[in-house]
Amino acid sequence: MLLAARGVTRRFRDHVALHPTDLEVQVGDAVALVGPNGAGKSTLLALLAGSLPPSGGSVERAPGATVGWAPQRAGHYGRLTSRENLELFARLAGERDPPVRATALLDTLGLRDDARPSGVLSVGQRQRLNLALALLGDPDLLLADEPTAALDEHARERFWELAAARRAAGGAVVFATQAGDEPARYATRVLSLEEGRLA
Amino acid sequence: MRRAGLILGKDLRVLRRSPLLLAAAVGYPLVVAVLVALVGAYAGTKPRVALVDEAGLPPTLQVGNRVFGIKPAIDRAGREVHIVRLTNREARHQLDTGRVVAIVRVPHGFVSDLRAMVRSPQLELETSPSPFSGRIVREVQAFVYALNRELQGAYIGSNLEYVNLLQRGGKGTFLGRDFDVLGLGRTDRLLATEPQTPAVVSVRKFVRAARLALAQTGDALRATANPIALVHVPEHGRTWAFSAQVQAYALTLTVGLLALLLAAGSLAAERDENVIGRLPATIGELLAAKVALGAVVAATLGTAMALAFGIVIETAAVRGGEPWQRIPLVTSGLVLAGASLGALGCLVAALARDARTALLAAVALALPLAFVAVVPSDAVRVAGAIGSLFPVVHALRFFSAALYDVSPWRTLAAEAAWLVAITAVLWALARIAARRLLV
Repeated sequence: MLLAARGVTRRFRDHVALHPTDLEVQVGDAVALVGPNGAGKSTLLALLAGSLPPSGGSVERAPGATVGWAPQRAGHYGRLTSRENLELFARLAGERDPPVRATALLDTLGLRDDARPSGVLSVGQRQRLNLALALLGDPDLLLADEPTAALDEHARERFWELAAARRAAGGAVVFATQAGDEPARYATRVLSLEEGRLA
Repeated sequence: MRRAGLILGKDLRVLRRSPLLLAAAVGYPLVVAVLVALVGAYAGTKPRVALVDEAGLPPTLQVGNRVFGIKPAIDRAGREVHIVRLTNREARHQLDTGRVVAIVRVPHGFVSDLRAMVRSPQLELETSPSPFSGRIVREVQAFVYALNRELQGAYIGSNLEYVNLLQRGGKGTFLGRDFDVLGLGRTDRLLATEPQTPAVVSVRKFVRAARLALAQTGDALRATANPIALVHVPEHGRTWAFSAQVQAYALTLTVGLLALLLAAGSLAAERDENVIGRLPATIGELLAAKVALGAVVAATLGTAMALAFGIVIETAAVRGGEPWQRIPLVTSGLVLAGASLGALGCLVAALARDARTALLAAVALALPLAFVAVVPSDAVRVAGAIGSLFPVVHALRFFSAALYDVSPWRTLAAEAAWLVAITAVLWALARIAARRLLV
């Protein structure tokens, strides 16, 4: 078991975004979260990533397991270049050689190593940077919220190759998607959420 | 702390890449500092005082053998207050509406009392219940004191005429009646022609003793009229533009507002850029980076300002020079003040919903804090009490003491302790409020 959610729940004032939910992610899993807008997919992923504190329940990680998190809205510093973002996050995460790691991820995600601030990149380019940041540190578990929504066909294929490589290296991936064919093509398990509950 | 340092490095790099933001961030507080200095200067200008002349003051007035110009006397008073001549009704209206802060009324009979020198003529002073009233009373008291000194001179001169008359003899006038006085000199001469009987000798002894005593009367009268005389030495110190207080205000307001705005804006920007949830750093490290940002920027900019001020002082050969050896003290104060204002900025940003709201709230908070700092605490006690709970007042006192107090250590220790304590409290509150950043 890489990660387990036990009775995890989240309220925003009076609104219950996610009712108590249990979920276990095993090595090799590719879990797809599907459901209409507002079903609670993003909330569940943010809770699993630890970027949102739960209102109840708990999220447990296997000892030493690392998590990479790609939120739906790209999170990076708009006044820094793609390389500077990657190097900064690599340094913060304690990676051994941040410049080398940044170069590798720029190449892997097809990002240009230029002087443009990331804030002026196209939506697709920003999403690639978003995914590259999630892949820093070669995480055991990749959590991605609609990772391919803004990507072109080639970039999508590249992402799924990277996800498969994570799984093959003893990791797992949990992703939310609205794309109809992705659960069937890339998921080992499909979880459907409706009004904050697992269906 | 390594990660806080990395985030601080990122913030400084972002700041360097935003010249417009940096210019605005530096320029805005500087403009505010200048405006506050102007307000301070305005506070030092003459308050308007109404003069109600019910006595019908003549252009000149003779007291004894001296003639006083009324207008020059009023002009002399006008160096301290701006005197406007008004009717009683107009003066009353302007006092009620705050256009003038006091009324000086010259009542009927004032001139005749003054000329007669039989009883003291009276001026009436009416003040409004404003922070200026104490100052106005002092100004008018000073005016009356100065006028009295001139009048005393005239009265003494007039009285000495009678003394001279007693010594030398001749014609005189008192209360409108003319009279002829023999005088001690003439008396002595008359007695010298008489047979020198024991009685005549005794009277001549008395006359000579009286002449000697009366010869000292002038000095004695002047000494008792003015037991202590104040001699005004020509202006000696710095012009207000280079005063220690202006430098302390400029430092406090500029770096204070800058640290507050930068810390608030940069923490709120972390949320706007959606990085907080994925940043490999704790909330504590993130807040530490923003507090450090306030301290670093305040120390850098503030020290540069102090050095620039010092260069101007030295170049212009301003009296007193710049206390260069105190600059390290100023820098340490800038670090403390910047950190404290940075912590306040973090609290504002954590409570605000987004960067725009955070900046607006920071500006809204900064302005009253700036003005509370420059309002004298003894003038408005509530403002002084509120101000002491925030870092600006203590930073101002710290810089003022560091730059120009002869023995600043006690004040520096007290204000540094205040700044550290306030930073600790604001930090703790920001930590609690920062939970909202993850929502």
